[in-house]
Amino acid sequence: MADLAIQVKDVGGVAVLRPEGFINAHTVRMFEDALEKLVASGRFTILLDCRSLNYISSAGLGAIMGLIETVRENGGDILLCNLAENVFAIFDTLGFTQLYRVFPTDVDALQALSGTPE
Amino acid sequence: MKPAADPESFRLVIPSQTRYLNLVTAMAKRASLVAGMDDATAAKVSIAVDEAVTNVIIHAYKGESTHQVEIELRFSPDRLEIRIWNTGGGLHDEDVVLPDPREYVKHPRKGGLGLLLMSRFMDEIHFQDLGGRSECCMVKRVS
Repeated sequence: MADLAIQVKDVGGVAVLRPEGFINAHTVRMFEDALEKLVASGRFTILLDCRSLNYISSAGLGAIMGLIETVRENGGDILLCNLAENVFAIFDTLGFTQLYRVFPTDVDALQALSGTPE
Repeated sequence: MKPAADPESFRLVIPSQTRYLNLVTAMAKRASLVAGMDDATAAKVSIAVDEAVTNVIIHAYKGESTHQVEIELRFSPDRLEIRIWNTGGGLHDEDVVLPDPREYVKHPRKGGLGLLLMSRFMDEIHFQDLGGRSECCMVKRVS
Protein backbone atom coordinates (compact mmCIF):
# COMPACT_ATOMS: atom_id res chain seq x y z
CA MET A 1 0.00 0.00 0.00
CA ALA A 2 1.26 3.47 -0.82
CA ASP A 3 1.98 5.72 2.14
CA LEU A 4 -0.49 8.29 0.85
CA ALA A 5 -3.29 8.49 -1.70
CA ILE A 6 -5.42 11.56 -2.25
CA GLN A 7 -8.94 11.79 -3.58
CA VAL A 8 -10.46 15.10 -4.62
CA LYS A 9 -14.09 15.66 -5.48
CA ASP A 10 -16.45 18.56 -5.86
CA VAL A 11 -19.49 18.73 -3.60
CA GLY A 12 -21.69 21.72 -4.35
CA GLY A 13 -18.77 23.96 -5.20
CA VAL A 14 -16.65 22.83 -2.26
CA ALA A 15 -13.42 21.00 -3.05
CA VAL A 16 -13.37 17.98 -0.76
CA LEU A 17 -9.85 16.59 -0.40
CA ARG A 18 -9.54 13.21 1.26
CA PRO A 19 -6.01 12.04 2.15
CA GLU A 20 -5.69 8.33 2.80
CA GLY A 21 -2.66 7.12 4.77
CA PHE A 22 0.17 9.12 6.29
CA ILE A 23 1.22 12.71 5.73
CA ASN A 24 4.82 13.11 6.80
CA ALA A 25 8.05 14.49 5.37
CA HIS A 26 8.05 11.71 2.79
CA THR A 27 4.55 12.24 1.44
CA VAL A 28 4.00 15.93 2.12
CA ARG A 29 4.94 17.00 -1.40
CA MET A 30 2.00 15.03 -2.82
CA PHE A 31 -0.35 16.63 -0.29
CA GLU A 32 1.05 20.09 -0.96
CA ASP A 33 0.74 19.58 -4.73
CA ALA A 34 -2.93 18.59 -4.38
CA LEU A 35 -3.69 21.69 -2.30
CA GLU A 36 -1.72 23.99 -4.59
CA LYS A 37 -3.46 22.59 -7.65
CA LEU A 38 -6.85 23.42 -6.15
CA VAL A 39 -5.79 26.94 -5.25
CA ALA A 40 -4.20 27.50 -8.67
CA SER A 41 -7.49 26.55 -10.32
CA GLY A 42 -9.39 29.05 -8.19
CA ARG A 43 -10.81 26.55 -5.69
CA PHE A 44 -10.51 28.50 -2.47
CA THR A 45 -13.00 26.63 -0.28
CA ILE A 46 -11.41 23.36 0.65
CA LEU A 47 -12.72 20.72 3.04
CA LEU A 48 -10.08 18.32 4.33
CA ASP A 49 -11.91 15.09 5.03
CA CYS A 50 -9.54 13.27 7.41
CA ARG A 51 -11.53 10.05 7.86
CA SER A 52 -8.79 7.94 6.27
CA LEU A 53 -5.84 9.93 7.56
CA ASN A 54 -3.71 7.79 9.89
CA TYR A 55 -1.53 10.65 10.99
CA ILE A 56 -0.19 14.03 9.97
CA SER A 57 3.17 15.37 11.09
CA SER A 58 4.29 18.98 11.30
CA ALA A 59 5.34 18.79 7.65
CA GLY A 60 1.69 18.37 6.66
CA LEU A 61 0.53 21.07 9.04
CA GLY A 62 3.07 23.40 7.45
CA ALA A 63 1.58 22.68 4.03
CA ILE A 64 -1.87 23.74 5.25
CA MET A 65 -0.43 26.76 7.01
CA GLY A 66 1.39 27.79 3.86
CA LEU A 67 -1.86 28.23 1.93
CA ILE A 68 -4.31 29.49 4.51
CA GLU A 69 -3.61 33.16 3.91
CA THR A 70 -4.05 32.81 0.16
CA VAL A 71 -7.39 31.02 0.40
CA ARG A 72 -8.76 33.44 2.99
CA GLU A 73 -7.60 36.47 1.03
CA ASN A 74 -9.66 35.07 -1.84
CA GLY A 75 -12.79 34.65 0.24
CA GLY A 76 -12.34 30.95 0.88
CA ASP A 77 -11.21 28.80 3.76
CA ILE A 78 -9.73 25.42 4.68
CA LEU A 79 -12.01 23.37 6.93
CA LEU A 80 -11.42 20.05 8.65
CA CYS A 81 -13.73 17.15 9.37
CA ASN A 82 -13.78 13.50 10.45
CA LEU A 83 -10.63 13.76 12.54
CA ALA A 84 -9.57 10.60 14.37
CA GLU A 85 -8.58 11.08 18.01
CA ASN A 86 -4.84 11.05 17.32
CA VAL A 87 -5.14 13.43 14.38
CA PHE A 88 -7.32 15.80 16.42
CA ALA A 89 -4.70 15.71 19.20
CA ILE A 90 -2.04 16.93 16.78
CA PHE A 91 -4.17 19.79 15.46
CA ASP A 92 -5.36 20.73 18.93
CA THR A 93 -1.93 20.61 20.56
CA LEU A 94 -0.63 23.16 18.10
CA GLY A 95 -3.64 25.44 18.38
CA PHE A 96 -4.91 24.63 14.89
CA THR A 97 -8.39 24.00 16.22
CA GLN A 98 -8.50 27.75 16.95
CA LEU A 99 -7.23 28.64 13.50
CA TYR A 100 -9.44 26.30 11.49
CA ARG A 101 -13.08 25.33 11.66
CA VAL A 102 -13.34 21.68 12.67
CA PHE A 103 -16.52 19.62 12.13
CA PRO A 104 -17.41 16.16 13.36
CA THR A 105 -18.46 15.00 9.88
CA ASP A 106 -18.34 16.11 6.24
CA VAL A 107 -22.12 16.54 6.30
CA ASP A 108 -21.83 19.04 9.18
CA ALA A 109 -19.09 20.93 7.36
CA LEU A 110 -20.96 21.09 4.05
CA GLN A 111 -24.15 22.20 5.78
CA ALA A 112 -22.27 24.98 7.55
CA LEU A 113 -20.77 26.10 4.24
CA SER A 114 -24.14 26.13 2.53
CA GLY A 115 -25.59 28.23 5.32
CA THR A 116 -28.07 25.64 6.53
CA PRO A 117 -28.20 24.70 10.23
CA GLU A 118 -25.70 22.07 11.28
CA MET B 1 16.79 -5.13 13.88
CA LYS B 2 19.73 -6.36 15.87
CA PRO B 3 19.48 -7.14 19.56
CA ALA B 4 21.36 -4.71 21.77
CA ALA B 5 23.44 -5.76 24.75
CA ASP B 6 20.74 -4.71 27.15
CA PRO B 7 17.92 -7.29 26.95
CA GLU B 8 15.48 -4.50 27.74
CA SER B 9 16.37 -2.51 24.67
CA PHE B 10 16.86 -2.84 20.94
CA ARG B 11 18.18 -0.77 18.11
CA LEU B 12 17.27 -0.01 14.55
CA VAL B 13 19.56 1.68 12.06
CA ILE B 14 17.98 3.22 8.97
CA PRO B 15 19.36 5.10 5.97
CA SER B 16 18.72 8.84 6.19
CA GLN B 17 15.71 8.67 3.89
CA THR B 18 12.18 9.79 4.60
CA ARG B 19 10.70 6.69 2.99
CA TYR B 20 11.64 4.79 6.15
CA LEU B 21 9.73 7.16 8.45
CA ASN B 22 6.62 5.04 8.33
CA LEU B 23 8.57 1.96 9.35
CA VAL B 24 10.13 3.75 12.32
CA THR B 25 6.88 5.31 13.53
CA ALA B 26 5.07 1.98 13.27
CA MET B 27 7.80 0.42 15.39
CA ALA B 28 7.62 3.25 17.93
CA LYS B 29 3.87 2.83 18.21
CA ARG B 30 4.13 -0.92 18.72
CA ALA B 31 6.91 -0.44 21.27
CA SER B 32 4.77 2.02 23.20
CA LEU B 33 1.96 -0.50 23.34
CA VAL B 34 4.38 -3.19 24.52
CA ALA B 35 5.57 -0.75 27.21
CA GLY B 36 2.01 -0.55 28.49
CA MET B 37 0.70 2.68 26.97
CA ASP B 38 -2.77 3.05 25.55
CA ASP B 39 -3.46 3.61 21.84
CA ALA B 40 -3.76 7.39 22.07
CA THR B 41 -0.48 7.75 23.96
CA ALA B 42 1.30 5.33 21.63
CA ALA B 43 0.14 7.43 18.66
CA LYS B 44 1.65 10.53 20.28
CA VAL B 45 4.96 8.79 20.85
CA SER B 46 5.05 7.70 17.21
CA ILE B 47 4.51 11.29 16.04
CA ALA B 48 7.31 12.53 18.32
CA VAL B 49 9.62 9.92 16.80
CA ASP B 50 8.56 10.94 13.28
CA GLU B 51 9.43 14.54 14.07
CA ALA B 52 12.77 13.68 15.66
CA VAL B 53 13.89 11.42 12.79
CA THR B 54 12.65 13.95 10.22
CA ASN B 55 14.73 16.64 11.93
CA VAL B 56 17.80 14.45 11.61
CA ILE B 57 17.21 13.67 7.93
CA ILE B 58 16.21 17.17 6.83
CA HIS B 59 18.28 19.38 9.11
CA ALA B 60 21.26 17.41 10.44
CA TYR B 61 21.91 15.55 7.19
CA LYS B 62 20.41 18.27 4.96
CA GLY B 63 18.40 15.72 3.03
CA GLU B 64 21.45 13.64 2.04
CA SER B 65 20.33 10.04 1.76
CA THR B 66 23.64 8.24 2.34
CA HIS B 67 23.91 8.65 6.11
CA GLN B 68 22.52 6.58 8.96
CA VAL B 69 20.05 7.29 11.70
CA GLU B 70 20.31 5.05 14.75
CA ILE B 71 17.32 4.58 17.01
CA GLU B 72 17.25 2.79 20.34
CA LEU B 73 14.18 1.86 22.34
CA ARG B 74 14.88 1.21 26.01
CA PHE B 75 12.16 -0.34 28.15
CA SER B 76 11.84 0.17 31.91
CA PRO B 77 8.87 -0.74 34.07
CA ASP B 78 7.84 2.91 34.38
CA ARG B 79 9.05 4.45 31.12
CA LEU B 80 10.02 4.09 27.50
CA GLU B 81 13.18 5.90 26.52
CA ILE B 82 13.91 6.58 22.86
CA ARG B 83 17.36 7.70 21.78
CA ILE B 84 18.11 8.88 18.26
CA TRP B 85 21.68 9.43 17.09
CA ASN B 86 23.19 11.04 14.03
CA THR B 87 26.60 12.25 12.93
CA GLY B 88 25.41 15.29 11.01
CA GLY B 89 25.29 17.67 13.93
CA GLY B 90 22.40 18.51 16.13
CA LEU B 91 20.77 20.62 18.72
CA HIS B 92 21.73 21.22 22.31
CA ASP B 93 19.18 21.73 25.06
CA GLU B 94 20.11 25.42 25.26
CA ASP B 95 19.43 25.89 21.52
CA VAL B 96 15.85 24.72 21.76
CA VAL B 97 13.34 27.55 21.72
CA LEU B 98 9.79 26.35 21.50
CA PRO B 99 7.23 28.56 19.81
CA ASP B 100 4.44 29.77 22.08
CA PRO B 101 1.25 28.20 20.70
CA ARG B 102 -0.77 31.28 21.71
CA GLU B 103 1.54 33.53 19.68
CA TYR B 104 1.55 30.99 16.90
CA VAL B 105 -2.21 31.17 16.62
CA LYS B 106 -2.06 34.97 16.46
CA HIS B 107 0.75 35.02 13.91
CA PRO B 108 0.61 31.76 11.94
CA ARG B 109 3.71 30.78 10.03
CA LYS B 110 5.17 27.72 8.41
CA GLY B 111 7.76 25.74 10.35
CA GLY B 112 8.87 25.35 13.96
CA LEU B 113 6.09 22.96 14.86
CA GLY B 114 7.97 19.67 15.09
CA LEU B 115 9.84 20.45 18.29
CA LEU B 116 6.65 21.73 19.85
CA LEU B 117 4.87 18.47 19.07
CA MET B 118 7.78 16.47 20.46
CA SER B 119 7.80 18.47 23.69
CA ARG B 120 4.05 18.27 24.13
CA PHE B 121 3.76 14.58 23.38
CA MET B 122 6.75 13.36 25.40
CA ASP B 123 7.52 13.85 29.10
CA GLU B 124 11.19 14.70 28.61
CA ILE B 125 13.37 15.67 25.66
CA HIS B 126 17.12 16.22 25.80
CA PHE B 127 19.66 17.01 23.12
CA GLN B 128 23.39 16.59 23.51
CA ASP B 129 26.62 16.38 21.58
CA LEU B 130 28.54 13.19 22.30
CA GLY B 131 31.68 14.20 20.43
CA GLY B 132 30.94 13.54 16.79
CA ARG B 133 27.53 12.06 17.48
CA SER B 134 24.44 14.02 18.33
CA GLU B 135 21.79 12.51 20.53
CA CYS B 136 18.12 13.25 20.97
CA CYS B 137 16.69 11.46 24.00
CA MET B 138 12.95 11.35 24.54
CA VAL B 139 11.19 9.82 27.51
CA LYS B 140 7.57 8.81 27.93
CA ARG B 141 6.50 7.60 31.33
CA VAL B 142 4.10 4.70 31.64
CA SER B 143 1.34 5.65 34.02
